[in-house]
Amino acid sequence: MKWSYNDMEMYVQAKEYVDTFLVPFVPFSFSRNDEDTKRLALHAELMDIFVNEIEKQYKGRIVLAPSYSYLLDGDYNEEIPKLNGYVEHAKDNGFKHILFLTFDKKWKKRDSKLHGNLIWVSAGQTHDLQSEEAQNMIRTQIDQVMELITTYWQE
Amino acid sequence: MSNKKQQVSRRQFLNYTLTGVGGFMAAGMLAPMVRFAVDPVLKPQKAGDFIATGTEVSSITNTPTRVDFSYEQVDAWYKSTVSKTAWVYKDEKGDIVALSPICKHLGCIVEWKKEGEHANQYYCPCHGGLYSKNGDNVPGTPPLAPLDQYKTNVKDGVLYLGEIVPNQEVK
Repeated sequence: MKWSYNDMEMYVQAKEYVDTFLVPFVPFSFSRNDEDTKRLALHAELMDIFVNEIEKQYKGRIVLAPSYSYLLDGDYNEEIPKLNGYVEHAKDNGFKHILFLTFDKKWKKRDSKLHGNLIWVSAGQTHDLQSEEAQNMIRTQIDQVMELITTYWQE
Repeated sequence: MSNKKQQVSRRQFLNYTLTGVGGFMAAGMLAPMVRFAVDPVLKPQKAGDFIATGTEVSSITNTPTRVDFSYEQVDAWYKSTVSKTAWVYKDEKGDIVALSPICKHLGCIVEWKKEGEHANQYYCPCHGGLYSKNGDNVPGTPPLAPLDQYKTNVKDGVLYLGEIVPNQEVK
């Protein structure tokens, strides 16, 4: 379910079935070289594709949070308490699984400090999201993430 | 006199021009009104549209197979490509059945399982909902209604799918 009126209408009637809160990370920066700026924006688009597909497939059990954006060059240690605040809030309100989805490698090191589950996916070197090769690759990655999510559910 | 008759008098000339100009103005005002009035009739009927899936009818077996298709949809704010999926098979009479994969419980996407624990059933990964081949919900699992189905049509040996309607296979 998305963070939208219609989906929340469904959520309020089926709260006991919805136990997963998915937060996509969307970092931004303008201080890198031009290629990196473009790639970072592409990652944001890619993230959109990922979470929309996951949400579509698992609509009845997942609430898709508004994307969490932050400065790529900022202090990540400052983000951690905020994110853990999200986790506590979601847990207090009936969610069991809080998942953070990111393409940003820098989170991997800080994985243990986060109270939610971090899913890191490699964004690859794609430039053209429309090419068939890229689409097949993205499809495979999305399937892998979805499989991973079901393993959290089986715990 | 005869010479004079052929001439248009000032009064006639003014009459003609005023009628002409007035007529144009009236037409200019009426034409959009008429267009608005008949507009709903001229709109192509979206609901009855069938979309080609690219799947050959001859390749459909009695085992449900996933068929993906997409079309352009114009919303109030933007135009988007919508991808849809159907589980398609031929029933005992050889008629094509195309079921919507959207779980009737909370809207997840169900999948036909060929093997394993839920073999020969549609399985919903979210809350374990199960449906039999014709889309009938298995009692004791969360869904309370059978899977919806698409209207089907065959043109030149290719499967076309239309709007989603309530299940008619479950008797």
